Amino acid sequence: MDRGIPRREFVKAAVAIGGSAALAACLQRESTPELPTGPDDLSELPARQHAWNDVLATDDHGNDVAPKHHVLRLMDYSGAGPPSNADRETMERSLRTLERAYPRSHEGLLFTVSYSPAYFDGFDEPLPDSVDLQEPKALAPFEEPALDRSDAVLHLASDYGSVVLAVEEALFGDAEELNGVSVEAGLDDLFDPVDRRTGFIGDGLPADHQDVDGIPASKPVPDDAPMYMGFKSGFKKNQATEDAVSIQSGPFADGTTQQLSLIRLHLQQWYEQDSRFHRVATMFCPVHADDGLVEGSGDNLGDTSLMTERGCPAHAEDHAREYGVVGHSQKSARARRDDTPIMLRRDFDSTDDGKASLHFLSLQRTISDFVDTREAMNGTDLAESGPVGQRTNNGILQYMTVERRGNYLLPPRALRSLPEAQPDR
Amino acid sequence: MKRRTLLKGGAGLAGLGSMAGCLASLGFERRSARSPPLVENRPDAVYIPSHIEGMQMVGMGKAGPYRAALTVSFPHRFWLMTGRNREMVELRAEDSVHLMVSLWDAETQVVPPTSDVTLEISQGDETVVQKAPWPMLSQNMGFHFGDNYALPGDGTYSVSVKIGPMQTRRTGSFAGRFDDPASVGFSYEYSRSALNELAFETLDETKGNEGAVEPMRMEMLPLAQLPEPDGLPGRVIGEATSGDGRFVVSVLDEALPGLDGSGQYLAVSARTPYNRYPLPFMSLASTISRDGSTVVEGPLKATLDPDLNYHYGAVADDISSGDTVELEVGAPPQAARHEGYETAFVEMPSMSLDVP
Repeated sequence: MDRGIPRREFVKAAVAIGGSAALAACLQRESTPELPTGPDDLSELPARQHAWNDVLATDDHGNDVAPKHHVLRLMDYSGAGPPSNADRETMERSLRTLERAYPRSHEGLLFTVSYSPAYFDGFDEPLPDSVDLQEPKALAPFEEPALDRSDAVLHLASDYGSVVLAVEEALFGDAEELNGVSVEAGLDDLFDPVDRRTGFIGDGLPADHQDVDGIPASKPVPDDAPMYMGFKSGFKKNQATEDAVSIQSGPFADGTTQQLSLIRLHLQQWYEQDSRFHRVATMFCPVHADDGLVEGSGDNLGDTSLMTERGCPAHAEDHAREYGVVGHSQKSARARRDDTPIMLRRDFDSTDDGKASLHFLSLQRTISDFVDTREAMNGTDLAESGPVGQRTNNGILQYMTVERRGNYLLPPRALRSLPEAQPDR
Repeated sequence: MKRRTLLKGGAGLAGLGSMAGCLASLGFERRSARSPPLVENRPDAVYIPSHIEGMQMVGMGKAGPYRAALTVSFPHRFWLMTGRNREMVELRAEDSVHLMVSLWDAETQVVPPTSDVTLEISQGDETVVQKAPWPMLSQNMGFHFGDNYALPGDGTYSVSVKIGPMQTRRTGSFAGRFDDPASVGFSYEYSRSALNELAFETLDETKGNEGAVEPMRMEMLPLAQLPEPDGLPGRVIGEATSGDGRFVVSVLDEALPGLDGSGQYLAVSARTPYNRYPLPFMSLASTISRDGSTVVEGPLKATLDPDLNYHYGAVADDISSGDTVELEVGAPPQAARHEGYETAFVEMPSMSLDVP
């Protein structure tokens, strides 16, 4: 059944399909090493669910490398009224099973659980002021996303598709064991499924999965590109640190906020009409195009996209007038605090619904930080001067449609299971 | 059966005869005939293209404050601009049509050239293609939003057009208008043989000469033409040329309503020669000097006004007889260009005018 399909392509397809049959097929195909189980003593695990960077791989330049395979489970709490302590304990047992089953690393399993404003509305008390969680909304004059209001999002990530699928089977299927560890409790009695989204990121994976709507039949995605648009992202110096995105005080200290958008990509013009000069200018900055700073997918840039180093954010308006074009990174980098980035990208591409897509998942201390970043990225201010349009020559807005958006509080590990809005801590 | 499957079947099963038929049904024959080679030695100016094409009206509709028309022609090459970098967009084998969206204000017939237009083609629940058409200049089709689109075959398609809120500065009765998104839908009955009925004329005698073909006039469809110089408000102080673009400069005694500041208003109406189409998406700055020293300098902002139409302007405290107005182009017009416009409006040296 798997004749002629390259291995990594097959694994991605299996993750997208899901289920026990996909898992079985995936296990046969993917060269998953014999993974050890996780620790018995879970007290050593970090307080932050989102503390992933220490256990991610790094590339030659010291950039953190995201896990290759991802699944997002959007779900609604199935109980009536606020969650019971019994449900809370069941969920925590279930999540601890995952931690015992796999090492907490990119080669094992990384996961987070986060909760929406709609979830916290179910409590009498509001969230404390130390948390800035807002209802999702449209953030550009030209976007009309559907707004996600499911209670919770479970994000599973691993370099091995078989690990992600096995975890889903343990949580939502019939599997009684997970990597040899007995599954004490699942989540299917606690939550009703709302949506399942899948994806991948890493050199070569997008090129292997470009037979989707939104990418022309000429198979233009470069073989080594980590993302559909052909360029690397997540340069260390342009990512916020985990400290920078962590909530500092109150019961949810060591938590963060998560924004998740489903973005459809339309890359026919990008690959078949636009020049390389245009792609570099609109993804990075016109200076980068003019000076030829970006080779291939941009690995030569090292650990920085050279934004502030080249004066790109500060001169966005000048560049709009002089070059007639502004870059996506250039605009976004205008949103900073104390001259450091405020958003940590953990996004990945997807073939969900047969369409070239981006699950734009970002972490930031407050949702306001995301709103500020997105406003900077809109470049509406730059579209007023003349040469730059609201979409044309204005970063990569021309090539994307935000279809859905949701905002979530990603609590610290101690409060990850059905937290109250005002937990005692 | 999908076209790709059809081609595969034809290639696998049959001899050369049926192969030729197969290629024809995919449109290769048509394309070679309808895409003459580029003119040799193109001047760095507006020139007569190798050919002109007819166009067909798909439909017209209301979209908020706008009227919109969808027209169709043969797929064809065009050029995109990023700064001064020009990139030719070639035809693809799968391109079926060149779709064009024209927009105008229902009240004034003014054509706003800097709108944000997106377009989605679908059949039933299936999206066939979604991409934002480029703002484009064409000698006979005027200013429009267009691109080549691939359709899987003859049939009825839904075309949904969305227009984003306008970012360009607006003055006079346009202040506060065009702020909301609008949309309009069309039903398009695509038939390749019907498309092939459209006029197609090569211009072998005149191609490559400096000049432009006449605008094609369609009933009900206003052309995006700017006023003749003597039809512009204010005192026209002169006309300058750069990169074959025409810059008509006028001075109004009062700033346009809706603008901050008071004093005179310097308006530059930048247009194509011959057909007077606007040159949008450009950056322009002015320096006014008197007796060798600068009186005022700064950017001229793209502005849409019911009387001046699309122009670049700024409040300029006082402009007197004997002053010199220097105009400097930063980025040249970033609108996409059809053949005959791609070599003009790229290198655009500064201009200078003496105020009479």
